[in-house]
Amino acid sequence: MKAEILPPLTASVHVKPAGWRFGIRLWLPLFLIWLLLLPLFVLALPFLFVASLVFGFRLLRSLGAVMAVLAGFKGTKVEVENPGTRIFVKLN
Amino acid sequence: MTDKRRQILDMLASGKLTAAEAERLIAALERGTAMAAPAGEKLKYLRVLVDTVDEYDGPTKVNVRVPMQLLRAGVRLTGVIPTKARDQVNEALRNQGIPFDINKLTPDNLEEMVEQLRELSVDVDNDRAKVRVFCE
Repeated sequence: MKAEILPPLTASVHVKPAGWRFGIRLWLPLFLIWLLLLPLFVLALPFLFVASLVFGFRLLRSLGAVMAVLAGFKGTKVEVENPGTRIFVKLN
Repeated sequence: MTDKRRQILDMLASGKLTAAEAERLIAALERGTAMAAPAGEKLKYLRVLVDTVDEYDGPTKVNVRVPMQLLRAGVRLTGVIPTKARDQVNEALRNQGIPFDINKLTPDNLEEMVEQLRELSVDVDNDRAKVRVFCE
């Protein structure tokens, strides 16, 4: 599977609350969330297929577009810093 | 000399700007040029930098980087809107006075619009906050 269509697989989170000497660094395996959602998605497929027939949208193209939007979040970085607190989130 | 710089100097010469204002504008122009991605390279990120002084939290810095790929992918979502719904959206936009046709929002047109963002540089600078928005 091309990397460009994969959603973010991991997230780096650094949090240093006010008054803490050391911060918390987390590495979140987002791919586990996608794996957990996969069976739910498979269960929902028949309903999505019926919905596509009823509402007249193309199922495969829709799924591709949703995957592309999720993949678009890769590389997002948010950093907030003030004298007491530092928060850093990056989606990889 | 670029057109924008010449424009600023013309305004200074005609008295529409003070020397301090002209200097600030030229400095902002140079910063924007320095930060802009080189021509030919695809724009990758939209950056928002905020540097403010909050009365409760003190000096606060915010740095946000959003991939342009998200914008490009969002255009693909318009392709899955049923034709009937698209017509309704266009009609609603027209009723609001916005003559925009979402059928014309294609990846090629979007790429052209994104390319125009290459020179986008929003620079806000006052006593309490500095905000910079640019694409790289």
